[in-house]
Amino acid sequence: MARQTPFNTIKRYRWQEFGLFIIPFMILLLAMTQLLLARSVRAGLIPTSSLSTKNLPTIQGLIPVLGIIIFFFAINFLLSFTFPRADQVLLPLVGLLSGIGVLMALRIGPNLFPPDPTLGTRQLFWVVLGLVTFLVTLFGLRRIEWLKNTYYIWAILGIFMVGITLAHSLRANLNSPTHDQLNIGPLNLQPSELLKIFLVIYFAAYLSKNLDEFAGDDFRIGSIHLPLPPAKILINLLIMLGLALLLFLGIRELGLALLIYGIFLCMIYLGSGKLRYVLSGLVIFFILGFIGYALFGYVRARFDVLGFDVVNWQKWSAADQDFAQNSGLQIVQGLLALSSGGIIGAGIGLGHPTFVPVVQSDMIFTALGEELGLAGLFAILGIYLLLIYRGFRIAMETTDTFSKLLASGLTSIFAIQTIIIIAGNMKILPLTGIPLPFLSYGGSSIIANYIIVGILLRISHNTVMEREGLA
Amino acid sequence: MPLSLDVFLLILRLLLIILLYLFLMQVVIAITRDLKRSAAVGSDEYKGTPIVGHLIVVDSGPSSLLPGTRFDLEPKTTIGRAPTSTIRLTDNFISSAHAFIENRHGTWFVRDIGSMYGTYVNNQPAKEAIPARPGDIVKIGFISFKLAQ
Repeated sequence: MARQTPFNTIKRYRWQEFGLFIIPFMILLLAMTQLLLARSVRAGLIPTSSLSTKNLPTIQGLIPVLGIIIFFFAINFLLSFTFPRADQVLLPLVGLLSGIGVLMALRIGPNLFPPDPTLGTRQLFWVVLGLVTFLVTLFGLRRIEWLKNTYYIWAILGIFMVGITLAHSLRANLNSPTHDQLNIGPLNLQPSELLKIFLVIYFAAYLSKNLDEFAGDDFRIGSIHLPLPPAKILINLLIMLGLALLLFLGIRELGLALLIYGIFLCMIYLGSGKLRYVLSGLVIFFILGFIGYALFGYVRARFDVLGFDVVNWQKWSAADQDFAQNSGLQIVQGLLALSSGGIIGAGIGLGHPTFVPVVQSDMIFTALGEELGLAGLFAILGIYLLLIYRGFRIAMETTDTFSKLLASGLTSIFAIQTIIIIAGNMKILPLTGIPLPFLSYGGSSIIANYIIVGILLRISHNTVMEREGLA
Repeated sequence: MPLSLDVFLLILRLLLIILLYLFLMQVVIAITRDLKRSAAVGSDEYKGTPIVGHLIVVDSGPSSLLPGTRFDLEPKTTIGRAPTSTIRLTDNFISSAHAFIENRHGTWFVRDIGSMYGTYVNNQPAKEAIPARPGDIVKIGFISFKLAQ
């Protein structure tokens, strides 16, 4: 077989990925231009009456976006030589999402209360660091089986990390919104972001090792069949799940508990293909949720906002007014921002997204809704859909059971996380502090998401290699 | 005519949204092309070799196969670890050329082709070609399959 001739390299270049990168980069450049123009209009630096080329932003203003573009093209170039046949659709989707994330951080930062002018630069730095982690994962993870054989190490490490955070946050103030962070020097780490990956590795490895038993008879007490997995498997899974859930309920992170439980149900379904396990899992979830609602005040407080009527604001009582300005402020302002966006949005830099508290991380969806409008939100949801579709496609194509479970489990993380936080923003579920993948500001989340993308691309590469008999 | 800045910003906004949807369209086209290509590869393999039966995994033994997995049987099917086998099984207890299944005038014949761990039809070793009917259990190495039409 001819190898590494110049012609071969050109033929095997990742042209599809290259082509798919072009429009995202145009979008980013366009949006950045719009942002800079809008900013000068807001500051009253240029007259709105007429446009002259002098008023167009200079090249310096576009540097953050150009930086991202150069990085992604460099990765496209590098992967063409090392992983020419790995999936070519995933990176453009991820690149556009991270680019919009950096752009929104650049846009929101200076308008925050108090202003945070370096927010965008920091987000850019995290994306670059994320891309480096992505490359390290992709190059380092030669054999996926290595993860399968060391799964308990990852599980223990994850639990240990969250345990430290828990101990730390129990000493600190439980009511502060960032109590799930671990502060090491200048870094604010969120170990839960890594824990979700470790949990998926654990579930995938455990299930793929015990598939036969898992596919066997249902859970039995005497002669009664319960719609639950076999006893031995169930106990092992529940120990891990219980630890994770307890930790998150301990630090009052309902959203993370929900995310972990959702991943658990997905993995159970993927491993067994039995819908009744998922249904009984949901029933148990509702029972537990009801108990939690009855027992804990902070759970009730989270649910309060769901029944709040925002549309008939003229009929608010004094108590409603008070609620809208205090505990319900975030949601109510978020909904106002979404509705003020309308169909095509106010335009980047022309809305007022910073009236929503914590808009840069938890509520980024409302900022996007205000400035890109419903049309823009649908496009972003479309990007997520395609990303998730592609992840499951990678899972479908592999032949190895562990890789299959791992890829589909990691993809479900994206799916569940996106659903939970968007539903929270739109007052369909209680709002919880989960980042929107790739769009929210936050270093740990971006790095964790890029690790996932790295693993997915590695699995896709290994599949192609195995199929063509090259490995 | 000088273009008002407001109009320019509006154009930028619309262009941004149009580009977002163009990108989505481009990705969808790329994905469908991928799907068509893999479907074409799949149909090429079966061209001229009709599928005349199936092997369904009943007991996957030590391998990582899922019980219930179906494998297509052609009139002449080789099973083994070698990439050239019609059905490729990558289990440690499968030899590179393990078994041969043939359909002669509607009757199935199973024959071991020099495997280490043997081939059995209903627990009878298939050293020579022995006949099998749909519903019979074909054991290849430590993996049991049900023969099905």
